[in-house]
Amino acid sequence: MIAYALRRLGFYLLAAWVAVSLNFAIPRLMPGDPAAVIFGRFQGRLAPEALDALKAAFGLTDAPLLSQYVTYLRHLLSGDLGLSVAYFPSPVAEVIGTGLGWTVLLAGLSVCVSFTLGTLLGVYVAWRRGGWLDTALPPLLAFLGSFPYFWLAMAALWLFGFTLGWFPVRHAYGADLEPALTLAFIADVLRHGALPAATIVLVTLGGWLSAMRTSMVTVLGSEAILYARARGLAPRTVMLRYAARNALLPSVTSFGMAVGFVLGGSLLTEIVFAYPGQGYLLLQAVRNQDYPLMQGLFLAITLAVLAANWVVDLVAMALDPRVRS
Amino acid sequence: MTRLGGALAHGLTLTLALMSGACVRPEEGPPPGVLVVSVEKQSAWVRNFNPLMPGGGARWPTAGGVYEPLLVFNSVRGEYVPWLATRYDWLPGAEGVVFTLRAGVRWSDGAPLTADDVAFTFELLKRSPALDAGGVWRYLERVDVERGPEGERVVMRLKTPHVPALHGMAHTPIVPRHVFEAVADPVTFTNPDPVGSGPFTQVRVFRNQVFELGRNPHYWGGPPAVEALRMPAYPTNDAASLALIFGEVDWAGDFVPAVERTFVARDPEHFGVWAPPVGSLVFLYPNTTRAPFDDVRIRRAISLAIDRARVVEVGMYGYTTPANAVAFSERYARWQDKSLDGSPEDAVRFDPEAAERLLDEAGWPRGPDGLRRGPDGTPLSAPIDVVSGWSDWVRSGQVIARNLRAVGVDTQLRTLDFSAWFERVQKGEFDLAIGWSDEGATPYDFYCGLFNPETVKLVGALAPTNWHRFGDAESAPLFDAFKRATEPAEQRRLVDALQRRFVHALPAIPLFPNPSWGTYSTRRFTGFPTADDPYARLSPFAQPEALLVMTRLRPVDAPAGEVAP
Repeated sequence: MIAYALRRLGFYLLAAWVAVSLNFAIPRLMPGDPAAVIFGRFQGRLAPEALDALKAAFGLTDAPLLSQYVTYLRHLLSGDLGLSVAYFPSPVAEVIGTGLGWTVLLAGLSVCVSFTLGTLLGVYVAWRRGGWLDTALPPLLAFLGSFPYFWLAMAALWLFGFTLGWFPVRHAYGADLEPALTLAFIADVLRHGALPAATIVLVTLGGWLSAMRTSMVTVLGSEAILYARARGLAPRTVMLRYAARNALLPSVTSFGMAVGFVLGGSLLTEIVFAYPGQGYLLLQAVRNQDYPLMQGLFLAITLAVLAANWVVDLVAMALDPRVRS
Repeated sequence: MTRLGGALAHGLTLTLALMSGACVRPEEGPPPGVLVVSVEKQSAWVRNFNPLMPGGGARWPTAGGVYEPLLVFNSVRGEYVPWLATRYDWLPGAEGVVFTLRAGVRWSDGAPLTADDVAFTFELLKRSPALDAGGVWRYLERVDVERGPEGERVVMRLKTPHVPALHGMAHTPIVPRHVFEAVADPVTFTNPDPVGSGPFTQVRVFRNQVFELGRNPHYWGGPPAVEALRMPAYPTNDAASLALIFGEVDWAGDFVPAVERTFVARDPEHFGVWAPPVGSLVFLYPNTTRAPFDDVRIRRAISLAIDRARVVEVGMYGYTTPANAVAFSERYARWQDKSLDGSPEDAVRFDPEAAERLLDEAGWPRGPDGLRRGPDGTPLSAPIDVVSGWSDWVRSGQVIARNLRAVGVDTQLRTLDFSAWFERVQKGEFDLAIGWSDEGATPYDFYCGLFNPETVKLVGALAPTNWHRFGDAESAPLFDAFKRATEPAEQRRLVDALQRRFVHALPAIPLFPNPSWGTYSTRRFTGFPTADDPYARLSPFAQPEALLVMTRLRPVDAPAGEVAP
């Protein structure tokens, strides 16, 4: 079992290396350079001489790509992500640090809520197949799920924030509140997070529900379930302990994948709600051709997805003895 | 916000407020005396108050608020306002300039600001060229300190006479020697706890979503009436507009679509907008290294074919004015030779018949398909390059393309990603392109990049300015003479001559000046510049000019009561 876990870890390390290398290559395929972009942003307000000065400051070199790549890997291993161009001269780690916690909180919480709720609903509608909930819920959620995140976010912002004024329209907490582990602050964070989290949950819920429902239906048709029923076990026990546990495996596997998708999608939600997360940083990084910041952000996202997948592997192993052998 | 959306939102808000009788906005406003400003668009603040990196990520208003320059250029009046220096005088022959420092100025830590600080700041720029974004050391020879009966003076000697170099020297933010001396690398220094001479230097709050700058206890102009500046983080214009509409922002530089209806109409008594056209002038650049744009008749014909009133109406929502004959924005209004508007060579009027005549004369008659063809039968065909996503320019370009097709020029709009567009224009690899132009204190800085032969680079080399690569040999002596002209009358004579050259040679096709956007709410503060009281630009983006505004604002006497939006 330990050997299996380590083997998987080795596989993820290899995947991480590939991701890190792509991370280096892809931004450099874009035309232009960061100094030119920053210069352009000033639209003539910056003296033309500034261009060379900016290039010197950002340390833009014409060194061969291979040596740039070696430097990049060496810095990465020592945890040095470099200085951001868009937020020059702040280090990338500091820039990402302004919002990483909030993105993890928002995306992590919404994906967990969505997964738990969607799976439980999937179990229930499959158990009561043909009931009114089974007829109404999957199509409705599939309909909601077909909306882009940001569209639903804007609609929610307009209705519940702007028009009704029930929820704050921006930020992760009030401007006059000192962040601290107090009840008032936590309540404020929850109030601010409710709308963005709800839109992500609403969009992703349908996927979990239908995946779970499909796999439940297959498992419910199996002879093992028939046998369990014939033994006269309580329906709740059959539903949760026997059927749901077996049906959960595919969903658990896709949970790892979903972390990546939700991180990508929550970026847009964050921008709509002016949430201080990574979404806007990524936009800024691309706009300014800020290679170091892009690399830092992609690295954070990649590592989060890989870590989530590794944890999922371990969970799958615990759930399913077949994986272990 | 669409027209329908806005109306619906407004209606629903009112209905609900009436129905419930409850306050729709549960958020409490900031304490009285705290001015809420929206300038930079960010989702989270990064702590950086290093004023010396203009392209860097220093927080607003580091360069003109925390730190201060020697002089502040007022672009509405077109003149310098004495600031840390009380006066400046040119040495004979424009060999240098002498700044007389204001007496009694102190840094926010109580230490006196002396001429040594000024000299040190300039030495710092010399040591670290990356900081010298204004390029002052291209002209500077050395900086000396003089102490005399009339106070402390800083003498800046130039390598060769160059009067326009004043702008860069005047606007360099002055930093304290006793702090920056100890900094190992001023380029990568983020200066988290600034010691400045400006009105707002004390970082009271710094969180990812909001930061506040309290007033400088030792400010030379007396304590500012505003107690603190608060900058909430708004990542997009939409987010900022939302806050603006609810009256949560007192002063902003954000563009608001349909501003009269969506913003001002919500509280006409307090909400206001002022967008004087003093920004950079937008041009349609013809590449003069390529035929037929090397022919002034073709450039003039293109210019005459453009309906600028329509461009401004469609492209800029009517928020600016069409360019004048000499292409001056209002910042150069006092220099403008108005007699050239409507003169025979005035190319900014809309006159498609004259354009057609000129094209015929230049040897590009219409072919059987209506398209104009040259002597060898090739059609007059050129795409117009614009940056995709810069929607005001894209709309303007569409109008222009239609205008040009009407006179038989085969043209389409070509939208390019910013980087691709910028590389093309800099290298001179385009036919027609919409682009900005240089801003500076005098028309010299502006015209230099349009037709001074000194700024012409070869095609393929990166040119920071003069993308259309036009040099007017007859103007070269005028540009040269301006570098030595310290007398206003002499400057005026040269600028007059340059204006005539511009109109005659028409190096590029002027479209419209960019408006400088500013919005304000007088619910909590008064003293904003307006069209009736144009003492400076309203836009807080204009640094260091915003100093003129932030030191003049004061809270309204009554405590800010909650006014329903």
